[in-house]
Amino acid sequence: MRAYALRRVLLIVPTLIGISLLTFILVQFAPGDPAEQFAARSLARTPTKVEIDNARHYLGLDRPLPVQYVSWISDVLHGDLGRSYSTREPVSHELRRRVPYTLELAIPAALLALAIAIPAGIICAVKRNRLVDQVVRITSLAGASMPSFWLALILIIIFAVRLHLTPVAGRGSLRNFILPVVTLSFAPAATLTRFIRSAVLEALGSDYVTTARAKGVREALVVGRHALRNSLITVVTAFGTSLGHMFAGVAVIETIFVWPGVGKLLVDAIGQRDIPMIQAFILYIGVCFAVVNLLVDLSYAVIDPRVSLKKTSAAA
Amino acid sequence: VRPIKRIVVLLFAMAMVATACGSDKKTSESSATTVATPKANPNAELKVAFTDDQYFTQATPTNDVNVGVYPLNMNISETLILFGTNYELKPLLAERWEFRPPNTWRFFIRKGVTFHDGQPLNATTVKAGLFDRLARVLTTGGTVRAGANSTVVVDDYTLDFTPVVTNYRVPEQLVHPQNGVFAPGSDFGKKPVGTGAFKFVSYSPKESIVVERNDNYWGQKAGVARITARFYPDPNARRLALEAGDVDVIYQVPATDVKGLKAKGFIVANSAVGAYEAMYANIKNPAPRDILSDINVRKAVAMSIDRKQLVDNVLEGQGTLDQTVIPPGALGSYASTVKGFQTDVNGAKTLLDNAGWKVGSDGIREKNGRKLKLTMIDGFPTADAHGAIPEYVQSQLKAVGIDSEIVKTSDAASYTKHLTDKDGDLYFEQGNQNDASPAFLPGLLWYSGPETSGGNYQPIVGPGAGSTFDNLLKPAFTEPDHDKLQKEVADAMHEIIDNQAAIIPLNGIFRSYGMKKSVQGFQPHFAFLQVRWETVTVTS
Repeated sequence: MRAYALRRVLLIVPTLIGISLLTFILVQFAPGDPAEQFAARSLARTPTKVEIDNARHYLGLDRPLPVQYVSWISDVLHGDLGRSYSTREPVSHELRRRVPYTLELAIPAALLALAIAIPAGIICAVKRNRLVDQVVRITSLAGASMPSFWLALILIIIFAVRLHLTPVAGRGSLRNFILPVVTLSFAPAATLTRFIRSAVLEALGSDYVTTARAKGVREALVVGRHALRNSLITVVTAFGTSLGHMFAGVAVIETIFVWPGVGKLLVDAIGQRDIPMIQAFILYIGVCFAVVNLLVDLSYAVIDPRVSLKKTSAAA
Repeated sequence: VRPIKRIVVLLFAMAMVATACGSDKKTSESSATTVATPKANPNAELKVAFTDDQYFTQATPTNDVNVGVYPLNMNISETLILFGTNYELKPLLAERWEFRPPNTWRFFIRKGVTFHDGQPLNATTVKAGLFDRLARVLTTGGTVRAGANSTVVVDDYTLDFTPVVTNYRVPEQLVHPQNGVFAPGSDFGKKPVGTGAFKFVSYSPKESIVVERNDNYWGQKAGVARITARFYPDPNARRLALEAGDVDVIYQVPATDVKGLKAKGFIVANSAVGAYEAMYANIKNPAPRDILSDINVRKAVAMSIDRKQLVDNVLEGQGTLDQTVIPPGALGSYASTVKGFQTDVNGAKTLLDNAGWKVGSDGIREKNGRKLKLTMIDGFPTADAHGAIPEYVQSQLKAVGIDSEIVKTSDAASYTKHLTDKDGDLYFEQGNQNDASPAFLPGLLWYSGPETSGGNYQPIVGPGAGSTFDNLLKPAFTEPDHDKLQKEVADAMHEIIDNQAAIIPLNGIFRSYGMKKSVQGFQPHFAFLQVRWETVTVTS
């Protein structure tokens, strides 16, 4: 397992280089001139051609593209992610400042999503086609398809404007977390509920469950020990994907709730053609997904003893 | 099933009761406000909701830092000259100023003023904290064009400023808060120190900025003890923050929210007109972007638009019928020189007929087999800022037989690309008057001379070197007299709008600020960056 983990960690490096190269190429195709955007923001007015050329030189954008990329990747390997075109601060400072804000929303939201989805999914599976199943299925369908900005505004209107139970936006006290965490957890909770429901349902129909029941095992143990445990691989896979997305930040939620996380940072960076920031962000996302996927893969072996991470078994 | 039903009913009932309690609370609060005698609370904290955070904390050769200064001005620093709410120049840190030919401006500095750190304001500190700073940080020396040797201290409270190039617009340019005076030696990217009515407390990027009253302020002491301004990029969240009572004042109330806020007992204060909505025509490019090189087609477009309906219905009354483009206040008594266009659908049709564009079988005009179809780029500063105006214009053009497609741009960079590619026929633009010089926008955008930039607009809408517009505007850059300046700019705008129809004005824009009734003394300014806070009080 240790060798497998090491191999996967090493694989992350070429993956990230590939992602960064692809991002670098794609950014070049985006309409608009980063030098012009930089000059316009700096001057707070329309820049002249000379001012744009000066900005291009200042940013190093007048060098050939391969030189720009090699220079950037070389700096990254030395721990320097460059300077943001928009804030002028080192990109690493900005990411270090913003990532914790995203995580302080993402982690409670992920836990809340799990706390809702696991019991809801199990109840739905056990009470299949009964009223509770219908209600939860409709709710989860609505949750999965509801735009988060709309849900955020509805929650604000009810809990902040009408009931005065929470602030509309901003950080500060624990009350400030309630609405953004609930909004952020809603869609993953809905999706996970549906995954858990179908996985548990499938498990409940399998032979080992029938055997357990025939042996007189209590229904709670049948569901909890046999059906749920055998459904966990599906659940963990879906949860890992949701977690990756949450770590990437959700710009809409961060914008509405004035939460200075990385999601809004990326949207702003794209709008401003802030190439160093975009590339650093993509690297951060790449790392997040790679680590989450690795943890998910490693967890398979823990959840299901039949899964082996040894090279020979994997090949077999 | 029964227990579930009972739970659902119980939850619903709880929600209804809670909602009703929330409503009662609000009603009783507003009743109390009307009964009690309002009294300003000098210890109050004013909470403000601004739009997005655009502060810079790091300087480069092309920009200075601007925390607390631009575009949200927290009145930490002050300029030598103030831009009044009616476009007037008023003394601030300079008690008066005078022009000394050929290119020098003498400023008489206010006495008895100190910076927040205790340094005195005098000619030496103004030299270091304003003009020398601009010359040192910015390669161009800022808009006023300050050089290393531009400023000479005449005596303790008098200094002479001579720009590195001939610049007769210095007083009008100095009103911009980025030309504020900061305490020499202070790091104003991290902790700005000025002479203003408020002192810097803290700044959290993308979150908030906090200032507190300067009890040693030389002028009227601030009416509140503290201001916390929070950045709400989303207009819905901004409005809801006001409704929930989280903030006292919000910037930039969308036109569609004004009636709703007023109906709920909030005040919406409008400024004078300080911005405009207009379409720039692509007047000098080859096919397929040559349709609007015909002045008759441009005038037909301008005449086909019913601006009253636009303001009344599309903007819900949150606009004016001004067609001066440069805000009329900036042109003073010469604003009437610019006439704009009256709606005349039949006149527009006649112009198009005479230009050879005949109505086809589908109602769209055509000439030599080519359809009269315009590409409209939406727009600056964002497509959202124009709301439904492009669609409204599209429907009006259709009525005279002009087909069009609207290209909505996703961000400023995409819009600029359409400008540099010159691939649009009409460009939707909103422009602001942030500078006190009426020549600022025409010089920046449409003039081709060396005095200003011209930028991306010159190859599209700028009439070009030797044109009547350029000839009319040119003296404005070397005109020290403000009245003559206004006349010169008004004549130039008359040419580019009324005679050339290169710029097709749609409406005037004022700034709307929403606030609680407990907020008093707020003076809405047409430029966000010029708002003054010392007059504002919060009643208990």
